[in-house]
Amino acid sequence: MQNSFISKIKQKFISNPDLTFAFFLAITVYSYFGFSVEVFASHNLTFAILERFAVLGLIGLALTICIIAGEIDLSIGSNAALCAVIVVKLTDPIGAPLAIVIGLFISTGIGFIQGFFIAYLRVRAIVLTVGTLMLLRGISLVVAEEKTVMLTDFRVPDFITTKFFMYFSPASIMVIFVFILVGIFMRFTKYGREIYAIGGARKESLAAGVPIKRPMIIAFALSGFCAGFAGTVIGLKSGTAQGLGLQYLLLAGTVAAFVGGVSILGGKGGIIGAAVGALTVNFLNTGLLFYALQVHFVQLFTSVLLVVVIVFQTMSRIFDQYQSRKAFLESVDHRRENLLAKRDKFNLTNK
Amino acid sequence: MQDLISSYKKNLLLSILLTFFVLLFLYGIFATNNYFTWFNFKTIIRDAALYGIMAIGLTFVTLSGNFFLLSIKETAAICCVSFAMGMSTGYGVESWVGSFPISLLVTLLIGCLAGAAQGLFIGLGGNPIVVTLGGAGILYGIATWWTDNLVISFRRPNDAEWLGTGSFLGLPTITWSFILIAILAEFVLRYTNFGRKVYLVGSNRAAGKATGHENLSMAIIVCTICSALCAFVAVAFAAQMSSAQANYFSAEFGSSGDMTILVIATVMVGGNSIMGGYGNTIRTSIGAIFIAMIDNMMVLNGLNSGPRIVGVGLMIVFSILVFALYAKGSRAQE
Amino acid sequence: MQSPVLKISNISRSFGAIHALKKVDFEINKGEIMGLVGENGAGKSTLVKIISGFDNGYEGEYKLNGQVVRFETPVKAELSGIAIAQQELSLIPNMSVAENIFLAGAKVKKFATLKKLSEEAKPYLDAVGLSDIDPSIRTNLLSVGEQHLVEVARLLSHDAQILILDEPTAALGEQESRRILDMVQKIADSGKSIIYISHRLDEIFKITNRIAILRDGESQGIINTKDLNVDSLVEIMLGRELKNMFPVKPTKIKEDTILEVKNLWPDGLIEPVNFKVQKGEILGLAGQLGSGAGEVLAAIAGALQIRSGSLVLNGKEFMPSSPQQAIKNKIAYCSSDRKKDGLFLGRPIMENLTSPALEVISKFGIRSASREQKYSKNLALEFLIDVKRLNDESGLLSGGNQQKVALGKWLSISPEILLVNEPTRGVDVGAKSEIYQRMRELADNGTTIIFASTDIQEVTYLPERVLSFYQGLLIRQFGLNDIKTTSILKQITDPFNETNL
Repeated sequence: MQNSFISKIKQKFISNPDLTFAFFLAITVYSYFGFSVEVFASHNLTFAILERFAVLGLIGLALTICIIAGEIDLSIGSNAALCAVIVVKLTDPIGAPLAIVIGLFISTGIGFIQGFFIAYLRVRAIVLTVGTLMLLRGISLVVAEEKTVMLTDFRVPDFITTKFFMYFSPASIMVIFVFILVGIFMRFTKYGREIYAIGGARKESLAAGVPIKRPMIIAFALSGFCAGFAGTVIGLKSGTAQGLGLQYLLLAGTVAAFVGGVSILGGKGGIIGAAVGALTVNFLNTGLLFYALQVHFVQLFTSVLLVVVIVFQTMSRIFDQYQSRKAFLESVDHRRENLLAKRDKFNLTNK
Repeated sequence: MQDLISSYKKNLLLSILLTFFVLLFLYGIFATNNYFTWFNFKTIIRDAALYGIMAIGLTFVTLSGNFFLLSIKETAAICCVSFAMGMSTGYGVESWVGSFPISLLVTLLIGCLAGAAQGLFIGLGGNPIVVTLGGAGILYGIATWWTDNLVISFRRPNDAEWLGTGSFLGLPTITWSFILIAILAEFVLRYTNFGRKVYLVGSNRAAGKATGHENLSMAIIVCTICSALCAFVAVAFAAQMSSAQANYFSAEFGSSGDMTILVIATVMVGGNSIMGGYGNTIRTSIGAIFIAMIDNMMVLNGLNSGPRIVGVGLMIVFSILVFALYAKGSRAQE
Repeated sequence: MQSPVLKISNISRSFGAIHALKKVDFEINKGEIMGLVGENGAGKSTLVKIISGFDNGYEGEYKLNGQVVRFETPVKAELSGIAIAQQELSLIPNMSVAENIFLAGAKVKKFATLKKLSEEAKPYLDAVGLSDIDPSIRTNLLSVGEQHLVEVARLLSHDAQILILDEPTAALGEQESRRILDMVQKIADSGKSIIYISHRLDEIFKITNRIAILRDGESQGIINTKDLNVDSLVEIMLGRELKNMFPVKPTKIKEDTILEVKNLWPDGLIEPVNFKVQKGEILGLAGQLGSGAGEVLAAIAGALQIRSGSLVLNGKEFMPSSPQQAIKNKIAYCSSDRKKDGLFLGRPIMENLTSPALEVISKFGIRSASREQKYSKNLALEFLIDVKRLNDESGLLSGGNQQKVALGKWLSISPEILLVNEPTRGVDVGAKSEIYQRMRELADNGTTIIFASTDIQEVTYLPERVLSFYQGLLIRQFGLNDIKTTSILKQITDPFNETNL
């Protein structure tokens, strides 16, 4: 019983080199910092990592879904910032729960509208989200009235960051919950599969009768929801929000998605990968803090990580092509004996 | 004209919104004080020049089917500080301090190298978005590391002043540069073999390959062109400020705070197809001027950066939707 | 006399300037296997796309069980009991077999684990003969033949009343094809109707009750299978009077060897091929898809990977590894898919015509507009393209004119050897004739032409020499005097006489 479980895991790794590499990277980065920085493996730090994972994980998840669908959402940082501003601004007058609901409703709605335009007007996401990136940023600034919005009552942030079971907080627990739900949705429902289909093989999925509008709208609505949730978490945790904030999330989230094994061609990836990718980027960011490096260095190393992943994926693709050529030639050779025998027989009987 | 009218009728809701905004825009132009003055006009063109020149470079990339570079502001950042470093420290060589030619040369070299490297990866099959996203982080990291994230300033008077603050026949140097570069770029696209190749490869990469035009050399060249023009603008800006810091193009720029997005938007507002093979640099220049007109109108009306960004953002989204709907043969679509 | 369960009357469908279907009639009865045959481009796929709800832009009447219907989406057609396994693969490569089978359609469960889907997929996989396949593996790990079988399995899972199979056995071997035929027979026996499209006439004769024939978008009638034989069917499919569309063949064969193909072993061929090509001749490579004819052509042009081989052209021995290299050696290659890599659809015709040889119309890299105009005008006149339309986007042209542009542009490099795969795919009769004429003239003027085609007529009446291919083997050569339609057809479908037709 145990053996088959282990062999099943083994099989999963062999058939999915990108995911394997993601785990490898995660372990490598963690070990590096674990050995070179004393307190890296401590409880407190693990808690901090999980806290940051709450935000980065959501963005990584959102981008993973969009990239799986064969598109990308460049406006994700702006969407998160807008939600952060709305939630922080509304918490004081109407209380956190209602503010959160309104904020999430708006970000999901924004995602929904973007998905709608992409699906119905057949505009490419990459084009549209360049515009919405700027538009949403402007709206955030207007809503924040050009200043930093702040909470006056810090009970909410305190609650959000309370420790549960040593490592978790309400924020990270909810995020894990979201991950599980979305994961089940993507892998086990017809609608999730449709998203994979239109991403990985759009022509074929149309030929197979897969509708393109529904999965597109769902993908972007989900992305909007995750962006909003991330913004909510950040906003309520720190008690502040800025209109122009959270722009770094796009790069960090994209790297997280790619480390996690997503392919720019679409149709590949999953939530486990997204989680591993986000954790890896987190390990990197948190670890670098101990080197007292400035923010831009973190960006530099994150980009290097991206390059490493891309190089790996490219080599992996080349290897795949080589393998499939080999398999093709083998199947051709397989037919040879049979066919040549038939020819010889025919030539003999017709001499 | 017939198609335009039928498209207009088909998408009634969007058309109504579009008409509303056009009217709003026209109203704004006429209602704003001091809008129709020669001085204001010069200001508009000068503002447009900065992102317009970069956008012209980016147009080459887009036309060739290589989408766009997300590393524009970081390329400008590293070139900006590189120029300032040259002017103030001479890169450690005493006789080079304050030398405009040396600083310019090194800066252009750095810009071209950055572009060529990214172009190489893109030409080998890498996705432009991913490659340039990574490139952006790396370039910015190098820029800040080089300068310790400090402001590098150099003395006035210096050799570079004519570029930054000089003027000729009443127009600033940067405006002349914009005009000249726009004309030169359009000439290259229309009358040279290279320009034709850009359109062919952009229109159908596979057919381009089949007729002997590979994307590898194309990607390298167009990315280099784009980065070189970014370098030029960066130099002009540094010359204007007599200083540079790595974050110059990030926060302070215009109303948007994100140069890269503004440049990309300029290319698209002009109506160039994101898929390549359709468009030209004249359109891009008009796009830049158009954005500058709207931004200028909002500034004159005393609006803060928030509403200004909303205004420009709305315009971008609308042009995208308009071109998606009305352009025959699907430009922004698959 | 039972009334047909599906009846199509006067269906017409055009795509821009291309008339795919012209007032076509079609019908099928309950429990019947209806064969649908016709040449490439006859309109078969267009017709079944309309029937199965993938195409809603037609004119005419479509009746199902006596009621007029019009399906906006394939899902709606499926709800009415019609399902199709298309000719082009529509499987998602990275997805598992089971998930591919239950991907889209009215009956797909909203929530299901991979394990459950694999279980449910089993019976359908068994029915098509794929019992050994693990339904949870990725589809792109299967062979092409197996993938086509998965498509059929997907079709079965829709539980339709009318099933359409478009070339289900094109990529299959003998045994697998036989299994499909048995399966089809069983399904029809259970009361379902089947529309069976195939180029393999032996299959058509084996299982169909009636045969519907299309030619150039027009119905040629629906005839009882037992009232036909291969020859009479081919005659109706091809039409006798069309022989006049071909130029007269030369009486003497050419003897001056210009190209020698040595030990060329392209991917997809069973063994290397060796043959010589004479200067100024038109050599035809006959064979069905995947037989090796198209592969040899692409390999010569450097557009396909090879295991070994070299060319000797005018005494020089080399092997192009890319189209660019081939062009440098004056070898021009026109692939079978002009939309994919033969045309720059968004650019004007003029730019298309001058695309391979920009140096000819420019000096020091700067193009002269007048020279380009003059040059492309000459090219256009040579290929009978309307010179008034030189500035129009090539995407707006009809199929025939597009093909003329795709072919004609190669004249700008003055090629020694012109390689064409499917010279008249999707081309109307009038343009076909013009293209054939031009090809013969080019050959007479010294350009050597090698073309591959699955169009029997073309490969019979145009070239003075033919090489036939079958399943990756070069079978035999036909000289000027032994090129006949029926013998070539036999050689490319059944050279070893296994089916005894």
